[in-house]
Amino acid sequence: MKKLAHWFPALVALCVVAFVSLVLVRGFDEGDLSRAMPLEGIARIPVSAGGRTKPLDTFARNTLLRLSGRQTCEIDGGTHPAIEWILELWTNPKLAAERRVFRIDHPDVRSLLALSDATRTRFSWMEISPKLDEVVRQAELASQIPRKKQDPFQRQISDLYGKLAEYAEVQSLRTPYTVAPLAAGEEWAPLMGADPRAKPLDTVSAQAFRGMLASYATGDSADFTRRVAGYRALLESKAEEGNLGNGSSASSFEVIMSRCEPFYQASLLYLFAFLLGCVAMLASPISPDRWKPSLLRSALIVIAIAFVLHTVGLVARIYLQGRPPVTNLYSSAVFIGWVCIPLALAGEWFARIGVLAMAASLIGFASLVVAHNLSASGDTMEMMQAVLDSNFWLATHVVVVTVGYSATFLAGFIAIFYVLGGVFTRLLRGDAMKALPKMIYGVICFAAFASFVGTVLGGIWADQSWGRFWGWDPKENGAALIVLWNLLILHARWGGMIRERGVAALAIAGNVVTAWSWFGTNMLGVGLHSYGFMDSAVFALVTFCIVQLALMSVAFVPLARWRSLAAR
Amino acid sequence: MNAFKPLLRSLSSLRLTVVLFALSIVLILAGTLAQTEQGVWMVVERYFRSLFVLIPFQLFVPAKVLGIPGVFPFPGGLTLGVLLFVNLLAAHAVRFTLSWKRAGMIATHAGVLLLLVGEFVTGAFAKEGNMTIAEGQSANYIEDTRTSELAIIDRSDPADDLVVVVPASLLAESAQAPIASGMMPFAVRVVEWMPNARVLGPMQASKLQLARATVGTGTQVAAVAVDVATGVDGADIDTPAAYIELLHDGTSLGTYMVSPRLNAPQTVVVGAKRYDIALRFERNYRSYTVSLLDFKHDRFVGTETARNFSSLVRLSDPTERVDREVLISMNNPLRYAGETFYQASFAPDDSGTVLQVVRNPGWMLPYFSCALVALGLLVHFGARLSSSVRRKIA
Repeated sequence: MKKLAHWFPALVALCVVAFVSLVLVRGFDEGDLSRAMPLEGIARIPVSAGGRTKPLDTFARNTLLRLSGRQTCEIDGGTHPAIEWILELWTNPKLAAERRVFRIDHPDVRSLLALSDATRTRFSWMEISPKLDEVVRQAELASQIPRKKQDPFQRQISDLYGKLAEYAEVQSLRTPYTVAPLAAGEEWAPLMGADPRAKPLDTVSAQAFRGMLASYATGDSADFTRRVAGYRALLESKAEEGNLGNGSSASSFEVIMSRCEPFYQASLLYLFAFLLGCVAMLASPISPDRWKPSLLRSALIVIAIAFVLHTVGLVARIYLQGRPPVTNLYSSAVFIGWVCIPLALAGEWFARIGVLAMAASLIGFASLVVAHNLSASGDTMEMMQAVLDSNFWLATHVVVVTVGYSATFLAGFIAIFYVLGGVFTRLLRGDAMKALPKMIYGVICFAAFASFVGTVLGGIWADQSWGRFWGWDPKENGAALIVLWNLLILHARWGGMIRERGVAALAIAGNVVTAWSWFGTNMLGVGLHSYGFMDSAVFALVTFCIVQLALMSVAFVPLARWRSLAAR
Repeated sequence: MNAFKPLLRSLSSLRLTVVLFALSIVLILAGTLAQTEQGVWMVVERYFRSLFVLIPFQLFVPAKVLGIPGVFPFPGGLTLGVLLFVNLLAAHAVRFTLSWKRAGMIATHAGVLLLLVGEFVTGAFAKEGNMTIAEGQSANYIEDTRTSELAIIDRSDPADDLVVVVPASLLAESAQAPIASGMMPFAVRVVEWMPNARVLGPMQASKLQLARATVGTGTQVAAVAVDVATGVDGADIDTPAAYIELLHDGTSLGTYMVSPRLNAPQTVVVGAKRYDIALRFERNYRSYTVSLLDFKHDRFVGTETARNFSSLVRLSDPTERVDREVLISMNNPLRYAGETFYQASFAPDDSGTVLQVVRNPGWMLPYFSCALVALGLLVHFGARLSSSVRRKIA
């Protein structure tokens, strides 16, 4: 047992590294050899959609994700990658129409379409198409109501209509733009124009793309492989003239990244580290000198490996997008988690109490789960609106203000551990009870600094863009609330109005303020009387806030009842 | 002097600071929630630039959960801003001494004071307007899209137009009694005033809607009231419309529909004289002229997402001997004559540009403020952090 405790961290590290390596291997080869048709090559062929050049694999994944909520498709009982689904859609539409790719949640929409099977939420084109006219009629009725006033049924029917339209667009090859520019002055073009009677495009890349699809349809894998390789070589050679940039190699890289899913793996590891931390805390009364430090060290190692994966994913996005890390809500979630980890580990270096590692892994996990839920709308690397098209401000204002959000959350999470650990356990006796409030205070100082500077930088950007430093709009006000909340805590402490416990309680309330500014302000646009697709997000936000307030109230248990403060 | 000191001391208290922060947080939250129902400008005036505000209880609870009537009075942004300003000054007067240790905090607080001053100057003196120019056309006035006016234009003098304007506030208030003045050739009776309206084309509008106007453009297109743009929509322009009956010597000249959405003024004939009438955004004329030479609007391939837009304009101001071409694009404004011209939007079908024109004498203040605060906090927290790291290593 003695030896095991000593070697345990190394053992954990080994297992985690083995797990990561397996994932990497899968990223480079997704069991292609076992398939009738090799998909490796065609997955990496670049296409253009939403204004961005991306691998066909990414387009297929995003489309399927929007339609069905998943990146894979069930075909004959087996799970198949999106690229296989999209190729079937293009080469064998009749069979593809039987695939259950339309997710419909609302019971009224299902009964309207006479889809009585209550055990399923996904349906096929074949099942929906008999009632197509009814969908169109209902969607037209709903479209007369502004989106934010629609009820959940109207939203779902509008969404379904949108999905059916998108499906038809993709099936007829009007989306994505598959015909690559091969000469200067050419632009990406769809294989089929909007007018079905018009003569189809007949350029070299159009012919090549058609050839690949025809070959796929025949099932001749040797011919298909040859054609795909030929087309890829052609794109490679014309990259300069067609202004494809490093499109081809970036395309390959993106395919590998979507398969490795570094954020998903990292979130699993953060969860694992958190559990290790919990076990360490449980072990502390039994084996305070051997197993507790050993388990904590293991947790720290796992966090470090997860952080490396997290960083790889983040850097990959920066490379693929050519943008600073935060460009939308999705990437802000990824980034908030990423910033918290090193901050918390630095704190752990100051005071080895394990609580910070646990807070870090929990935030890392939670932020990646939030990010995952935000990615359902499709491409998370969409092009930026003209007004946001400024790498300088994205790199300064957006990054700094997001760091401010991260720090405020971190302070709040450490405070939760402080309050729960202090009131209900004896784990935080002595040094920890003194060190944690100092940490919380330090992180709040940093949060106040980052959120203030970030917010003012945002004002300066606004002044540069439309001449208004401060417009009192909901998003700006949200940022101001975080700054003011942090300043309130600091000044209350400096004035002696609150002490350790008060700082912790207010820091937990800071989670509510930050969550509100991050998400609540976006939800306001939906209107306060009818939430549709955001229902679950609103529910999650409200639940989160209630839980935080409950945790905050725990802090007001009389100090004499705090178990960690009780006499030994 | 002795009587003054206790007052100064209580004004400088940190307790007051914390209370003011808490009140500001509540005010900002209320002012944000209010933007689900109201436009951002109205909220700014009522909540953030006022001495006090009456906040409805309903703001904090969704109406479908629980309907609560009533309002409660609350200090407005101006009051809180002034109190914070005084509190901060008093604190420095009472407690702070100039020392290296305090330097960071002093710089930070100086920056905060500057920020408060900047917002005050902006509220009091900044002017914002729009310049909408079609390609090949020019403009020598700025439209204030927050206020509109009914213009009655007498073009009989070939040298100068004679314009009489009725402010929208008057139109909105006078429901039945006709508006008349010695300067106006006819009286105006407001049949209906719409703070924000949509114009329906001949195919969209019903016969009943078209029958509301008896003469002019309103017989072909109709105006219908829509909800005012709210802050959370991100839109900040309401386009009004009105049905007005014109009266001359007690007899009706007909009912007109007027709105800034109509492209051309309408003609009214009184006796032998012709007048043009138009409801338009309030115009402020300038000595310079801006002509739009070329407007570019690029989109990402295969999408409607704007990649960038830019306006090539000719700026001419004979009084200042200025006549030059300028390219205004997103994030690259033109600064001229104390005003700044930003690429804001575009006319339908990319037929023209919309420039946002801002005059704000305090525009530089936030820049100084940001630098001061950042520097101050770096010095202050940096010194603390480095001392605790040193203690840890030692």
